[in-house]
Amino acid sequence: MQDALLKIWGLKKRYGSLEVLKGVSTDIHSGEVVVMIGPSGGGKSTFLRCMNLLETPDEGLVYFDGVDIVSADEAQKNRIRSEMGMVFQHFNLFPHLSILDNITLAPRLVRKLKPEAAEKKAMELLDRVGLADKAKAYPQQLSGGQKQRIAIVRSLAMEPKVMLFDEPTSALDPEMVGEVLDVMKDLAKNGMTMVVVTHEMRFAREVSSRVLFLEGGRIAEEGTPAEIFGSPKSDRLRLFLGKVSM
Amino acid sequence: MSAFLEDFALCFVKNGRWQYLVNGLGVTLEVALAAIAMGLVVGFLVAVVRSSHDKYGHFPVLNFLAKTYLTVIRGTPMVVQLLITYYIILRSVDSKIAIAILAFGLNSGAYQAEIIRAGIVSVDPGQMEAARALGLSYWRAMTRIILPQAVRNVLPALGNEFIVLMKDTSIVGYIALIDLAKGGDIIRSQTYSVYLPYLTVAGVYLVLVMTFTALLGRLERHLRATGADPVHNDS
Repeated sequence: MQDALLKIWGLKKRYGSLEVLKGVSTDIHSGEVVVMIGPSGGGKSTFLRCMNLLETPDEGLVYFDGVDIVSADEAQKNRIRSEMGMVFQHFNLFPHLSILDNITLAPRLVRKLKPEAAEKKAMELLDRVGLADKAKAYPQQLSGGQKQRIAIVRSLAMEPKVMLFDEPTSALDPEMVGEVLDVMKDLAKNGMTMVVVTHEMRFAREVSSRVLFLEGGRIAEEGTPAEIFGSPKSDRLRLFLGKVSM
Repeated sequence: MSAFLEDFALCFVKNGRWQYLVNGLGVTLEVALAAIAMGLVVGFLVAVVRSSHDKYGHFPVLNFLAKTYLTVIRGTPMVVQLLITYYIILRSVDSKIAIAILAFGLNSGAYQAEIIRAGIVSVDPGQMEAARALGLSYWRAMTRIILPQAVRNVLPALGNEFIVLMKDTSIVGYIALIDLAKGGDIIRSQTYSVYLPYLTVAGVYLVLVMTFTALLGRLERHLRATGADPVHNDS
């Protein structure tokens, strides 16, 4: 197997006296769709946020594309982050910018793309998620599901090597979850490398290539969706799966 | 009625005394607008240093200097600061207008800094995270994402500070600079008439402030017409 796109080894993170990650290791290969499940407080989001250094790990190594990113300097970190997309639970669109400006800002500023080129790319992506008519709108004029699809497009405009999703459907009204998951499924089908923290078990079951069950700051169990959902080994995973609706 | 007209002629027409008010108004506007601009520059820098330090521990030395500056400026009266600037710090400088602009600009900078800092703190932390996750540097994220939203959130408070500053410039007479207030005072001293000079000066300040308030109101409505409602910000 080729070298992993993301290599994470022995990751530890504590907030004050609370140890959120107690030594987490995994490799994420190109084209994989890794879903992280587990009870809240189990460290899923923190683990994800360490991957693009929104959180600085206290201990452990993160290699992205063969580069040690924990000890990289600021300029390197910015470059690395620009190659990793991230989608947040609360969308975090920029409310003072139009949808088009939300999408083209980073390509123009970070990738130095010409405005016309950035806009052309943005319109193609908007078209792909069915929101081309919203280019001139502002975020507050959109529904939650539309905002999240725009947030995904904003990340995709940077042509990332991996997309990180931090509970992308948790803040949505139930009827809007589907439209966002559809976009994510489409991405997965087209070979995008994805790491997804979610409570959507059906998505995990249908789309993921590997599932990590995080509990108490550790990867408590790991396997294919069939293994995790079909024959969970640990009691804690069985208990967790019993509590979440499928 | 004729007594009023006589008084009016004495105060404003005779010897071209109206010029005290017109020239004084020019000085008031020059000092106020330049000091507002200077205060904004100082305010932005200090606010960014302070909030970056509080949130991420950046710039410990600059933060110490900024805090000292805020304490001294906010802890001493404006008049005293103006006199110290004139008689001690810049005693070799000839231009009283430049001295007044510097003193008022530095003073207002301290207040604007705290207002803008409150604005920065009010912006959802997710905005900085989203900007950084896209690969923007800290400064780019600050200037392109955080500050525009911060300013919009505190525009009413900033406008209030501009109005206070505009009226505060009426103490520049302490360094013998002839602004609108001092101009009215000179007319009073030459004519022994108190009502017309002072009431006219007060009226001109009032019109200035009302005009300024209206302009700010338009700017606020314009910003609200685009971007989100800053209070309910779940974008």
